Amino acid sequence: MTVKKDKGRKALLILLLIFPLLLAGCWNNRPLTEINIVAGMGLERTEDGKILVTVQVAEPGAIQPASAGGGSGGEKSKPVFVASNEGETVFEALRGMLAVVDKKLFLSTAQVLIIGEKLAQEGIGEILDFFERDYEVSYLVDVIVAKDATPDELLRIESDMDTIPAVYIKGTVENTAARGTVKKTLLIDLFKDMDCKGRQPTAGQITKSSDKEVRTEGLAVFRDGKLAGWLNPYETRGFLFANNELKGGIVNVPVDNGKAAFEIIRSKGSVSVEVEDGKPSMLIIRVNAEANVGEYGSGGRLDSLETLYMLEEKLGEEIGKEIEMALEKCQKEFASDIFGFGIYLHKYYPKCWKEVENDWHNIFSKLPADIRVDAKIMRVGLVINPVGKGE
Amino acid sequence: MFGRIRERYREAKHKFANVRVDASSYGPIPGKIKAVQARLDEIFSQCNDLVIKEISCGKDGRIKILVVHIEGIVDRRLLNQDVIHPILDYLPSVQSEDSSSIYQQLSKCIVISSDIKEVHEMWQAVNFIVSGDAVIFIDGEDRALVVGVKSPEGRQVEEPDTETSIRGSREGFVENLPTNMVLIRKRIKNPDLKMEIMQLGERTKTDICICYIKGLANEEIVREVKERLGKINTDAILDTGIIEQYIADNRLTLFPLVGNSEKCDKLAGKLLEGRVAIICDGTPYVLTVPYLFIESIQATDDYFDHAFFASFMRLLRLLALLTSNLLPALYVALVVFHHTVIPFKLMITLAASQQGIPFPPFIEALLMIIAFELLREAGVRMPRPIGQALSIVGAIVLGEASVAAGIASNLMVIIVAITAVCSFVVPPLIRATMLIRFVFLAAANFLGFLGIMVAVVAVFTHLCTLRSFGIPYLAPFSPLTAHDLKDSLIMVPIWAMITRPKILRQQENVRGVKGSKRQEVDKGRDSQKG
Repeated sequence: MTVKKDKGRKALLILLLIFPLLLAGCWNNRPLTEINIVAGMGLERTEDGKILVTVQVAEPGAIQPASAGGGSGGEKSKPVFVASNEGETVFEALRGMLAVVDKKLFLSTAQVLIIGEKLAQEGIGEILDFFERDYEVSYLVDVIVAKDATPDELLRIESDMDTIPAVYIKGTVENTAARGTVKKTLLIDLFKDMDCKGRQPTAGQITKSSDKEVRTEGLAVFRDGKLAGWLNPYETRGFLFANNELKGGIVNVPVDNGKAAFEIIRSKGSVSVEVEDGKPSMLIIRVNAEANVGEYGSGGRLDSLETLYMLEEKLGEEIGKEIEMALEKCQKEFASDIFGFGIYLHKYYPKCWKEVENDWHNIFSKLPADIRVDAKIMRVGLVINPVGKGE
Repeated sequence: MFGRIRERYREAKHKFANVRVDASSYGPIPGKIKAVQARLDEIFSQCNDLVIKEISCGKDGRIKILVVHIEGIVDRRLLNQDVIHPILDYLPSVQSEDSSSIYQQLSKCIVISSDIKEVHEMWQAVNFIVSGDAVIFIDGEDRALVVGVKSPEGRQVEEPDTETSIRGSREGFVENLPTNMVLIRKRIKNPDLKMEIMQLGERTKTDICICYIKGLANEEIVREVKERLGKINTDAILDTGIIEQYIADNRLTLFPLVGNSEKCDKLAGKLLEGRVAIICDGTPYVLTVPYLFIESIQATDDYFDHAFFASFMRLLRLLALLTSNLLPALYVALVVFHHTVIPFKLMITLAASQQGIPFPPFIEALLMIIAFELLREAGVRMPRPIGQALSIVGAIVLGEASVAAGIASNLMVIIVAITAVCSFVVPPLIRATMLIRFVFLAAANFLGFLGIMVAVVAVFTHLCTLRSFGIPYLAPFSPLTAHDLKDSLIMVPIWAMITRPKILRQQENVRGVKGSKRQEVDKGRDSQKG
């Protein structure tokens, strides 16, 4: 009797242990051959107010024909195909695309998400919602905003450099981000900044430079979720200096009778706000930069401390100028605090922030700024007597 | 269903018991030589290899004696030199009418062999005859003399094919039990090395030797081994593999619960750790118990090599073990479920390799793995000279052609190849791995990583429940025995392994004296000088 009872209990236990397996969520078993690998995505607003979604899909068979596979001989198929579809919503447009493409679109592999200028001007909050909700979209996709070109055009270019144009575009973003002329913006950064009143979102800028090439440089500045304007590459770098996001770059400094180029090795920037009588009175930007001399074609020998001090000062001035340009543009033209002064206030002067929060755009754009850059030269290169300048 | 099987089993056992009674009911040795001869003729009818030599002696040659042996399994020279010659030379000079005095003379003075026994029962005498000894029957005596003249002939001691090592002894066990016992005794010269012989198998009468070191081996385990061996109730023991199946704790598990080895030095090492060995006549494979999981990734070479290399090799073996079990499953799970974790470039490669393959990855993996297992099995079974043809078929047809024909993706071929190579790294677990791999593969196909996880947990749970002669199989990891971890995945140098594994619960635990390391000895010397 007891044995039977025990057996029954054991069976029940095993059954109970098996049930949780069914609760674990997605149950879709889908081989790789049954999905379309999306390499890049583009979103744009059409003339009649609909959303145009463009996807660039990689064709693995054409990229790596080494695996004999079905072996369809003859002409070489294209490595990617681009499909686009209109819809009232992003989701609808995407699903509607299945009428055109053969397999389900797999979005997490997307390398870039290009947002059209028009759509950006009208506001991106609405379309971002889909990307936030859908579990398949990777939050780590690079977001860039197209200037003077539609995402559709950009995704349809045929680059000579990489078989997959989206990969090529991502490569340019990585490069320019390392040079400090574009800010690498991930989708998740955008989500964070969209909900934050203390800092306005930014995203990289992409333009079409020729039939086969793109140029990713500059920055798209948003204000309340809408595109407010663009920063040029130098202003972008100034912004990155201040924001402590600069990873490197070349800064040209006019000296004596020519120019010197400095390579930024390390840079530390911070923004803060001075508060007087419970009211923000001044924006403060502090940058400590370390640089190597990369080119000093005109100046002769670099062996005296005086020269180096002079160069350091000039470098600091130059960086300060870039920051100033960026800040001024943001204050005067866009009235958009992309630097995150608001966050600083929120953190350290919460009471003050409560008061200014709702009118921060206006207050920000009227505040004076104090920018101080401390530049240091670390190394001057291998040369002591430059060619033709030796004494 | 099981009930019926059990009933049948019981019936068979009962019948078998009857057979046994018949076999040992030959009765006592009859006093008359005629009767003896008649009995022998009856028992050994149609056994043309039986040799019965009749010698007359005593006064007027009235007393007859019979020397009985089986042709071929006795050492002819030894028999002539120790038995036949002395009898023919000296016995005629014994002028006695008394059969018992002749018997005394024979056993005390005439037969030279050191191995003489006396038997009273006919079945005993028959036993000795069939196992290669010579038996002398004397007219008028109801007892017989057994002279050990077994032929030691057999295979030479060679390096075992199944376990090769870079360093260490090249001697392997052979089929002959006494030779094997000598090989062990040669390595452990100590009266504490006990070798107890018993016979198993009602028909085969196979000699089994239980070997252990008294004082090191756990008495309880020795007793348990004897008890389990005693319970074996079968008519044929042809190999230790049969014994292994009878004495294992859990008879249904895939994992080996009894170790086996062909290498003498390995066996000596195991004995010195406190394990018990079971040697069986007729097979070079010697069993060791208790057998723990960790032993499958230990190799004899490890102890002869620097601890760093040995530890690295052990970790490598563990990695190989995991790989050979899990790699196909992980691949299938990745390709079928978890596209999100694959980097973009790899995804393109994976997708490209999958293109044009008509089967889903699970079927593809199954086909390739089965093809490989077939090749392996064919390699074992076929005659050696065909090997070349097989390897060509295997490499070219299965590898190249299946990819070219679009039946399997080249990545899958690579995966199966790596899996196969890894499975050979841990020989004791090849068979377990072979089957468990399919379980993981199926779990991966239905539930992805989650499924693999569930299967892994299930397998580990099973491993945790296993015992080998009462010792937890996963020791020293579960239960965690910190003391024994020194010779597990990471191995400490041999001079630091001062104590024996605690889990085997020996009485004497210290292996060596602290400070037997070279430097410390030197230091001691220096301080003495100072």
